[in-house]
Amino acid sequence: MANHVLLNSAEHRTLRITPTHGVDLGDAVMSCLIVPSEFRRVQNDYPILFRLTPQRDRFQALAMFGFEPGENLFLDGGQWDARYRPLALQIQPFLIGHPATPGGDKQIHLDLDNPRVATGGEGVRVFDDLGRPTPYLETIAEQLGELDAGWQASEGFFAALTRHELIEPLTLEITLDDGTTNRLVGYHGIAEERLQQLDAATLGELHAEGHLMPVFMALASLGNVAALIDRKSRRNTAHG
Amino acid sequence: MHTAISKVVVVGGGTAGWLAACRIAAAARPTAEHPIAVTLVESPDVPTIGVGEGSWPTLRATLERIGIGEAEFLLACDASFKHGSRFRGWASGAPDDVYFHPFTPPAEPDARALVAAWQTEAAGTAFADVVTPQPQVAQQHLAPRQRSMPDFAGALNYGYHLDAGKLAALLMRHATERLGVRHLRDHVIGVDRAEQGDIIGVRTRTHGVIKGDLFLDCTGHAALLMGDVPFIDRSDVLFNDRALAVQVPVAADSPIKAQTDATAHAAGWIWDIGLPTRRGVGCVYSSAHMSDDAALETLLAYLGTDAPITPRRLTFRSGHRAHFWVGNCLAIGLSAGFLEPLEASAIVTVELSLDALLDDWPTRATMPLVAARFNTLFRYRWDRIVEFLKLHYVLSRRDGRYWRDHRDPASIPPRLGELLALWQHRPPLRADLPMLDELFPTASYQYILYGMGARVPDSGPLRVGKVPSLAAIAQRTRSMVATLPPIRAYLDACRAAHQPILTEQIS
Repeated sequence: MANHVLLNSAEHRTLRITPTHGVDLGDAVMSCLIVPSEFRRVQNDYPILFRLTPQRDRFQALAMFGFEPGENLFLDGGQWDARYRPLALQIQPFLIGHPATPGGDKQIHLDLDNPRVATGGEGVRVFDDLGRPTPYLETIAEQLGELDAGWQASEGFFAALTRHELIEPLTLEITLDDGTTNRLVGYHGIAEERLQQLDAATLGELHAEGHLMPVFMALASLGNVAALIDRKSRRNTAHG
Repeated sequence: MHTAISKVVVVGGGTAGWLAACRIAAAARPTAEHPIAVTLVESPDVPTIGVGEGSWPTLRATLERIGIGEAEFLLACDASFKHGSRFRGWASGAPDDVYFHPFTPPAEPDARALVAAWQTEAAGTAFADVVTPQPQVAQQHLAPRQRSMPDFAGALNYGYHLDAGKLAALLMRHATERLGVRHLRDHVIGVDRAEQGDIIGVRTRTHGVIKGDLFLDCTGHAALLMGDVPFIDRSDVLFNDRALAVQVPVAADSPIKAQTDATAHAAGWIWDIGLPTRRGVGCVYSSAHMSDDAALETLLAYLGTDAPITPRRLTFRSGHRAHFWVGNCLAIGLSAGFLEPLEASAIVTVELSLDALLDDWPTRATMPLVAARFNTLFRYRWDRIVEFLKLHYVLSRRDGRYWRDHRDPASIPPRLGELLALWQHRPPLRADLPMLDELFPTASYQYILYGMGARVPDSGPLRVGKVPSLAAIAQRTRSMVATLPPIRAYLDACRAAHQPILTEQIS
């Protein structure tokens, strides 16, 4: 059970968060959940794929960092080799909490078990000595807000895609330079042929709801698969 | 006969000598037709003087050029970060009389616009506090960088506090083990000179004559090779000539001071430099204005202790040589001159001398020209240091004979007097300090001038440039204070991260 507490300036006055990257900080992950509003930023660096939840009741969007569990090809020692990192990573170790009173503002929670909660005295302050939020916390609050709105918008996004049959299963066969083959199964992508057949009225409707841009961003992001394979090949060469 | 200068003999093994040996050996091209070979002759029983435990930001570039990593340096030299100097009691002597001289210049280079912004947006707030985040960062004992940054990079410009004895030891290991410097522990008993005065070699007790093309006199006050060059006494401008120095241990978990504190007293000032394991505290005074006993009492009062102390007693004379490079011999370090350590100018002068030497490495044929240029440049620099130190005194409103004597116009160098007259009507501008590599930039003069409470000039009849927003600087301050680690935490983490490596090397 994760150890979640409500963030408050009295208890967490001297709290520091480790802003760097590393395996020990929980960055060795092959993918990260993302929201449609950040697809545009995500597609500069990462392939965007969809996957059904374990309950198989709805879709989620993912930014892909590797081809097998625990493999993050963007993580190189303490460096994260990309311009953008998805919101769900940037906000760690914070979470959105339910409002204290029904209808009230949502609150910021902190996962005390997250390795980013610093213990050695280094790291970024969350509150200053007087208990005022630091610029870092102000940024986190904005990002949590965007993420929260994004989760809610995701539902409508995937409902629209499902309604127009714009999602199709996608199997990626990855052949590395050394001839070995990996397969990514269980993922979905945009059904490109269906998308091209949509009539103007449907496209207009998708556009009006704000779904068209993320659809094309997700489609374009598949160009990053080749770059991801290159990263994997390079890493194998370096380690082999 | 070739004219290359390839055999370099450094005489003296303190900070200056080893810095010189390291810089020259690291800059040498091994495949040169006449590769440079550096020999350092060090007397086995002359103790080195622990001058200046504060460095300038220049030391970062020096270490990088020599090839010493920042963590290795910090741990080996018991070193810490320095954001600048804090002057207490210099203007009026009142309890709230304090100002900061940070290493980072103001974000806005247009002095008139900057002063206008300060006056309209934040009159009544200390100048340094509103033009750079550095004073607030220093006040909270924070490091200027995070460990994840590349070596020697920082969010702010910074120097170091360090144990000078340990620095010399680190440089010696580096020079002899990694840079191929030949190290002779021997007494120099004489100097062989050619007819025209050039040095042919130094005679040693057990290694015979050590010949060379270029000799560096790093023998400190003794000035073994340069002692005959006239000394220009500057004590008519800077009166201090004695110091009492003590070391005070500090608790292992105490915050480490991020600036050198210089606290004025009746006839001088007290330095206070925080290292991870100890504080170095010293009382600088003018023997013409204060007795040794009174100086000791002043130091005890500052330390706030009744415990008996046995300070090291230092005497010095403020001044420098008339020439620093004569024939084929160059004075580097205390042999070139000494001024009170108010702005930690000792190590930086050594570094700048080596920069200048390596920027224009002489041949036998060009040596007289290069030497003449060097002498002109460094005479200019010593004059600027003298004036900048004097600036700290002439703006004081303190009473007492010592401070009044400092304000006597006869003791103020004419060039400084002219600048002070100009600064009544406008802020210090770049044109006031026209050299390419000024030791103290215009910003430093602004920090001292307005820190000391000098009259702020009216805006005048000319338009000023676009007035910068101080809010952006305040926001940067908030950000930095949130993201920078306490120095103590930084150094502890640094030590923890490097412990295994150090242990491996021993085993």
